[in-house]
Amino acid sequence: MKHINGESFDIRLEEDNSTVCFKGALRLSGMEDYAPILDLLKETLIHPDASIVLDLRELDFLNSSGITMFSRFVIEARDRAGIDLRFLASEAVPWHARSLKNLQRLMPSLSICLT
Amino acid sequence: MISQTLGNCGERSGEGEYLTLAFSPLSAPLRSRWRNNGLSADFLGDYVITFLPTEGSVAAAGSRQNEIRHAVTYIANELLENAMKFHERNFDIPIGIHLELTSDHITVSASNGIAVVQAERYKEFAEHLLEGDAGDLLMRQQEANAKCDGPGASGVGLLTMISDYGAQLGWRFDVHPAQSEIMTVTTSAVLPLESVPGASA
Repeated sequence: MKHINGESFDIRLEEDNSTVCFKGALRLSGMEDYAPILDLLKETLIHPDASIVLDLRELDFLNSSGITMFSRFVIEARDRAGIDLRFLASEAVPWHARSLKNLQRLMPSLSICLT
Repeated sequence: MISQTLGNCGERSGEGEYLTLAFSPLSAPLRSRWRNNGLSADFLGDYVITFLPTEGSVAAAGSRQNEIRHAVTYIANELLENAMKFHERNFDIPIGIHLELTSDHITVSASNGIAVVQAERYKEFAEHLLEGDAGDLLMRQQEANAKCDGPGASGVGLLTMISDYGAQLGWRFDVHPAQSEIMTVTTSAVLPLESVPGASA
């Protein structure tokens, strides 16, 4: 299992290489600081045998640089044929309903499960 | 002092509840003080909900408070990040953030020092944001960011405030009273309370 954490966040790439779980608050200062996380996300695209799942249900806060990181990942997934990408989100976390729809606009086949 | 405003800067009447924080920008490098942006933004979000009227069921009031707390925290965090990043460090002007609550809206404003040359570029950028559709501009900006490996993200925070939070943006440029090459820029986000789900003050 690959793992990146900081003072306020914890990110894990599960053993199957197709599920990434995010927890906490991501407020890094720019794309340079987000690069290791984007690289970890891109590992899911190498052998996408199954659906790729990003579990954001416990990601309480994301700044705009983080939104840009997810946008870059979604655009890269969109531009590779046949990727099945799913986001798990929570109604209890206000930014999910407000901002994840923009990612769906970038990649119309993106599935967002808001519970 | 010569001033210029663009967009909606909100009222700064001082009659509603307000709170101002000021930071000495020269005392610590940007990286080491970055975490304080989050602490300050969280504080503003928590602070403002104390003054919101509670109505309806406990669950509805809690949900509304959660939405407003988050919206203020997100907006304050983005405005502070921008103010810290773009502050002109050669000028001894404090970086400030101001929160004001009226019966129907919340205004969050951040101010920083800027050279006149940079201010002219920022004005052009502000006019570009005010003229376009924020949702479309955001999509175009993210497609552009994906094609380059540079820092990117220019304006994404401001665009999401408009497109995702229903905020109205405004800018005020004040020439320094003693030094004509320096300006203070104040970027404001006015959040109508009716744009917050379940929120009507």
